[in-house]
Amino acid sequence: MSADALLTSALEDYLETIYELVRDQKFARVKDIARARQVRAGSVTPAMKRLADLGLIRYVQREYIDLTPEGEVEARRVYARHQLMTRFFGQILGVEHKAAEADACAMEHSLSAEGMDRLTRLFEFLDLCPEGKSLLDRFHQCPLVHGGQTTDCTACSWAGRDDQCQHLKRRSDVAVSELKPGQRGRVTHVNGTGAIRQRMLDMGILPNVVVEVERHAPAGDPIWIKLQGFQLSLRRKEAEAVLVAAL
Amino acid sequence: MAESSVTTRVALAGNPNSGKTSLFNALTGAHQHVGNYAGVTVEKRQGRYSHNGRRHDVLDLPGTYSLSSYTPEERIAQDELLDRGHDVVVVVVDSTALKRSLVLLAQLMQTGATCVLCLNMADEARHAGQQLDRQLLSKLLGVPVVETVGHRGQGVDRLREAIASVAHRQPGPSRVVLGERLDRAIAAVGLHLVGSEIPDEHHPWVATKLLLADPLLEERVRRGPGGEDAIGEAARQRRSIEAEVARDIALYVMECYYGFVDGLLRQTLVQPPREDARALSDRIDSVLAHRALGLPVFLAAMYAIFWLTFTAGEIPMRWIESGFAALGSSVAGLWPVGSSSPLRSLLVDGVIAGVGGVVVFLPNIVLLFMCLALLEDTGYMARAAFLMDRVMHRFGLHGRSFVPMITGFGCSVPGIMATRTLEHEHDRLATMLVLPLMSCGARLTIWMLLIPAFFAPRWRAPVLWSIYLAGIVLALLLALLLRRTVLKGEDAPFVMELPPYRLPTARAVVVKMTERSWLYLRKAGTVILAISILMWLITSYPKAPGGGAASLERSVAGRVGRAMEPALGPLGLDWKVGTALIGAFAAKEVFVAQLGIIYSVGETDTDRGAERLRQKLRRDYTPLSAMSLMLFLLIATPCMATLAVTRRESGSWRWALLQIGGLTLLGYGVALVFYQTGRLLVG
Repeated sequence: MSADALLTSALEDYLETIYELVRDQKFARVKDIARARQVRAGSVTPAMKRLADLGLIRYVQREYIDLTPEGEVEARRVYARHQLMTRFFGQILGVEHKAAEADACAMEHSLSAEGMDRLTRLFEFLDLCPEGKSLLDRFHQCPLVHGGQTTDCTACSWAGRDDQCQHLKRRSDVAVSELKPGQRGRVTHVNGTGAIRQRMLDMGILPNVVVEVERHAPAGDPIWIKLQGFQLSLRRKEAEAVLVAAL
Repeated sequence: MAESSVTTRVALAGNPNSGKTSLFNALTGAHQHVGNYAGVTVEKRQGRYSHNGRRHDVLDLPGTYSLSSYTPEERIAQDELLDRGHDVVVVVVDSTALKRSLVLLAQLMQTGATCVLCLNMADEARHAGQQLDRQLLSKLLGVPVVETVGHRGQGVDRLREAIASVAHRQPGPSRVVLGERLDRAIAAVGLHLVGSEIPDEHHPWVATKLLLADPLLEERVRRGPGGEDAIGEAARQRRSIEAEVARDIALYVMECYYGFVDGLLRQTLVQPPREDARALSDRIDSVLAHRALGLPVFLAAMYAIFWLTFTAGEIPMRWIESGFAALGSSVAGLWPVGSSSPLRSLLVDGVIAGVGGVVVFLPNIVLLFMCLALLEDTGYMARAAFLMDRVMHRFGLHGRSFVPMITGFGCSVPGIMATRTLEHEHDRLATMLVLPLMSCGARLTIWMLLIPAFFAPRWRAPVLWSIYLAGIVLALLLALLLRRTVLKGEDAPFVMELPPYRLPTARAVVVKMTERSWLYLRKAGTVILAISILMWLITSYPKAPGGGAASLERSVAGRVGRAMEPALGPLGLDWKVGTALIGAFAAKEVFVAQLGIIYSVGETDTDRGAERLRQKLRRDYTPLSAMSLMLFLLIATPCMATLAVTRRESGSWRWALLQIGGLTLLGYGVALVFYQTGRLLVG
């Protein structure tokens, strides 16, 4: 007989508490349970009676409570679910720990079995998929998460990856290739990959550096720029990867 | 004073354009040797000097902007530093571009190398008003700081002193501070490297590279104990850092390096250089690099260079010619008149004629190298590359390929040698391999013979022009093909520094000029000598009575020519041309001489002799077959000097053989298609 349908949220919580206590101390006493749940001992006793009727706990001696094998199974399930929810709020959504716990407690009893299943699979995906970690990190770094605006993506490091996100450009940002001779700009992003990007970084083309376009070659390519006291030429394609805020 | 048995091994590192090589020359003088790193086109320059009785071996590392692992130059520099334990690493820095160069110093210090900071081009920095507290800098970094002016040889003794003072010091803790977060991460990764085969002093550098996910160093580390752990830790730290600082690790690390350097300079740079220090140079650039004017000015300059080398070189050329002729006669005179002694023939017709034929170009070559050295040292070469890159890049080449290729119109040998200015291997090789397609001066003697023989006066200039054009077009197309197939690879960064114009010192130009001319001469002395003898052998033996044309026919060369005939037929050619072609391998001018012999014309370099030869040729060939021959000669037959120089500059026989094989096939194909289509159209 599944104890599912007969377990109320409150009972599930009790079971969870007993599980934690038993894990740490071998047995749980009524007063430990009361303390852990921050209720009066008097409220604990009827709940224990109910759990005992369901065959999930037993009294070892008058005061000490232990889980039956069935109880163990149930408790584990409840406990795991709680952990999952806490993780969801804490690690995935990035909610602060105490609030995460509270939210987990609030939500864990109202999820359907399918909902639980799906959520578990989401975690598995984020753990196993090579892109999963990156996705999660990206989410955490996104200024949107930290209360920023959708257009305020200057701090996103993924502007520098293979999949250059055009929409991440600030409205005032232009590529060095678009500057006319004599125009200056302060570098905001250095996109590109591989040897080319590394060479640009090595040469000192970094965010916050001011560059000035000196001239273009015939046909507009390559481009001659000045920065930090020396002068460089960049191919148009390389210059397209350097975004500046026009000055 | 007897030399101590301990040798101090010194390496010179630094950015390209920092004057490193001049400094190397000043340190080592004549005691140097230039080769290649095995299998790559990167030059290996080694030398030595003596100081206080101790021998110092100096290695001039390839110029690099940082110790990353992307280009062959950087990888070689890194390998040398990590594997071959140099006692001292001198970091040569352009004093006017301190920030960037000090980043390289920081990276080198992380490898645990015992460094000396050499502030080169100190005169320019002083002239720009820059003032640096050298003593404080030295104290902060823990390395000696020396000022030098490499191309004038100033400060070199001080440099030697500084090197000796640190030479056998124990490596101390790195003074490079990259910020709390990064330093912590480096230490965490470094922990896992303890007990691996990697020496302790390398750990900061290796740890940094692992954080950067450098595949070469990951490979290296993986092989040893604790490697996987170190790599794993590096990955963890990397993720953590990237999440914290919201940028990718490569950018963050570079910012940390610059942060360190900025901190150093804030304390030690008492007076920064004036903003307008480059004013004159910039004004010159407004003309020379002008969007519309730049190119015409450059082409005019190249034309002037050619004009100079060929006219000014004319007179010394005549001297050398008569000199060798005189040598030939006096050696011949050692035997009685009419003697058919093989030794006499070997010496006079083989050695003296063969070697002389190449040495006679020496004045042109020397002048050409001088002009190239001037172009390079003034900084104008970089402007030329800037102007030409768009076109060159279209065909898989580099802006810097332009000057070597133009040089090839004079002679392929200096042109190929000039490809050293190209920083990246694929660009260098592609340029080198297609260079012989630039119709050289020697081929011009053939065009001058054949074109008037077969074409009416009003067609002569267009035909000549079309040959040159064909060469250029084929060179570009072939380069494109190479870059898509054999030399496929990521485009090397073009990001190229444009140094201020500098007045080259006579000393630097002369050193460059003589070094390269000497190389050219040595080719004459070795490879060409050997091949001249070989050529003489196969064209002289076996003999037929009466000598002359019949003799040539009977010789090995003649027989090979005959054997080639079936292959040459579809090109509209015959064995006579085939035999002459064999001689052309030695040097193009020999082709004309050999034809002369076959047609029993004798002196081909007089106008009358040439005309007689033309008449005979007209009997045997048509304009169509003549054109086919010229195409074949343009494409298929790089001379042996070219082959020898390609082998040397590319570092292996593979490329030289690919060059000759590929070009021969291409030449054959083009001539074939041309001739057969011509036959179809004209009949």
